[in-house]
Amino acid sequence: MADENDNDRIDDNQKPEKMFTLKKWNAVAMWSWDVECDTCAICRVQVMDACLRCQAESKKDSYGKQDCVVVWGECNHSFHYCCMSLWVKQNNRCPLCQQEWSIQRMGK
Amino acid sequence: MSTPARRRLMRDFKRLQEDPPTGVSGAPTDNNIMIWNAVIFGPHDTPFEDGTFKLTIEFTEEYPNKPPTVRFVSHMFHPNVYADGGICLDILQNRWSPTYDVSAILTSIQSLLSDPNPNSPANSMAAQLYKENRREYEKRVKACVEQSFID
Repeated sequence: MADENDNDRIDDNQKPEKMFTLKKWNAVAMWSWDVECDTCAICRVQVMDACLRCQAESKKDSYGKQDCVVVWGECNHSFHYCCMSLWVKQNNRCPLCQQEWSIQRMGK
Repeated sequence: MSTPARRRLMRDFKRLQEDPPTGVSGAPTDNNIMIWNAVIFGPHDTPFEDGTFKLTIEFTEEYPNKPPTVRFVSHMFHPNVYADGGICLDILQNRWSPTYDVSAILTSIQSLLSDPNPNSPANSMAAQLYKENRREYEKRVKACVEQSFID
């Protein structure tokens, strides 16, 4: 009963003073690759690294970086372009889902 | 010289060691990573149970774009295994995908032992017995299991 009376008293009063003030706000964002699998299922190296073939031949572009790009299919599966271009010559299907392979985008 | 196929096989070997599937094992031969020896243990609750079946796997430089040649060295009595040990399995022929590795190949063959496909027989006697006389089929398979301890 006593509790109820206390509540009434607060409601009757004006708004209580701010309990705290926010002085600084540090936002932290997390991210991850927006692809189903970030390891190339053909050569088993991360798609963001050069594929096994390029590593073996240590291909470099004019900037001295390894020039091995990633390719995404319409099915959203990703592979190294090098790995995929060899495979589609014999079977134009995604090696993971068997859908007809068509390129959605390429890049890094 | 380390070629892409050899590098991929090293990765396959590493994965097989770090995450070994139950009932199969495999390793490259001492001086040639392109030729592997493997063992598949007969799956439980099948007539192949307790068998230790030895295989060889031969890769080409086109791996993983082309499947390896897999062959049982141990004598087998199975609807989809030829007399010479060759295996009739879709994923080793027209349904091959470059995403398969040694681990996937061995587990697929292991599941073929549990679930033969008598409609595409490589051993017509085994297929016929599997369909029409399961007792005799199991008797012939058990003889293979016994044999597998010796070969």
